[in-house]
Amino acid sequence: MYRGREGQWAFYLHRISGLGILVFLMLHVANIASAMWGPEVSNALMKFYHQPVFQIGLLLLIAGVLYHGFNGLRIILMDFTAWGVRYQRQLWYGVWVLFVIFYLPFLLKIGGGILGGGHGD
Amino acid sequence: MAIKSKRYEEARLEASTNLELYWWVFMRISGVVLVFLLIGHMWMNAILIDLNQIDYNYVAKRLSQTTWKVYDWLILALALLHGGNGLRYVLDDWVRHPVRRFWTKVVVYSLIAFLFFLGSLSLFNHDFGVK
Ligand code: HEM
Ligand code: HEM
Repeated sequence: MYRGREGQWAFYLHRISGLGILVFLMLHVANIASAMWGPEVSNALMKFYHQPVFQIGLLLLIAGVLYHGFNGLRIILMDFTAWGVRYQRQLWYGVWVLFVIFYLPFLLKIGGGILGGGHGD
Repeated sequence: MAIKSKRYEEARLEASTNLELYWWVFMRISGVVLVFLLIGHMWMNAILIDLNQIDYNYVAKRLSQTTWKVYDWLILALALLHGGNGLRYVLDDWVRHPVRRFWTKVVVYSLIAFLFFLGSLSLFNHDFGVK
């Protein structure tokens, strides 16, 4: 299965990020679905989650989703193509290139928001 | 047991049951779909708008549009199944005691079922009244 130096790292990061996303998803659905109980309930929760601590958490979550997603694609390519395993090192670098390209906009936008203030009303 | 193989042919040989092989395939299909859905979702709600603007009105408006109801429900269903089955792999790996493993799974699956129910209600059984 997972071989080599990158392999072990890749495996644990994949597992931790997967579990992290699942925990987020549960809080997230509860948060969004609370809108069924009207603006008071919903806005109170939203205001709570707009605090800077949670925005830093969100930046971590987004990193987790992007890493888990692109590394997942790498795993899938290795599973279903004849050449995937041969190029696993190159694919591993590819994961990080895609990660940086997609993460930068989020980092700038949300990071800028945290530093610039204006959160939590 | 969860399948550890790196290739489809090997996975077929390793699978203890057909069901286990179907899960293995499902993890990959749902994964490919989720990458696109999730990047799109995060882009719309964090890059195209300032996420500090997300409040009741914003959510009510989005959840009144059929496109986003269906889109969000796909994320909800696929992510809960994919994440729930992934968690099962992890629990089989980490929780060795059979009784403890059983009860952990009962709690976790109940929580997932509840959230699926709650999320589905908010998408298809509630009128947010936005025209
Ligand atoms: C973004 C798109 C995603 C892709 C491409 C993807 C891909 C994968 C793949 C290929 C596996 C390995 C399955 C196996 O070992 O048979 C996996 C495992 C897992 N995924 Fe995902 N996934 C994605 C999203 C998610 C989401 C949204 C969650 C949480 C709700 C999640 C949670 C997990 C967990 C907990 C595991 C098990 C990890 C382990 O066994 O160590 N994944 N994913
Ligand atoms: C940047 C991070 C994220 C932001 C700002 C965000 C924001 C939102 C917002 C505003 C909604 C309301 C409806 C809509 O606009 O479509 C929503 C719904 C939803 N989101 Fe996210 N989201 C994020 C990440 C995620 C991730 C990573 C997942 C999956 C693992 C996810 C799963 C869902 C689901 C399932 C719903 C529907 C909830 C329901 O059934 O009531 N979101 N999100």
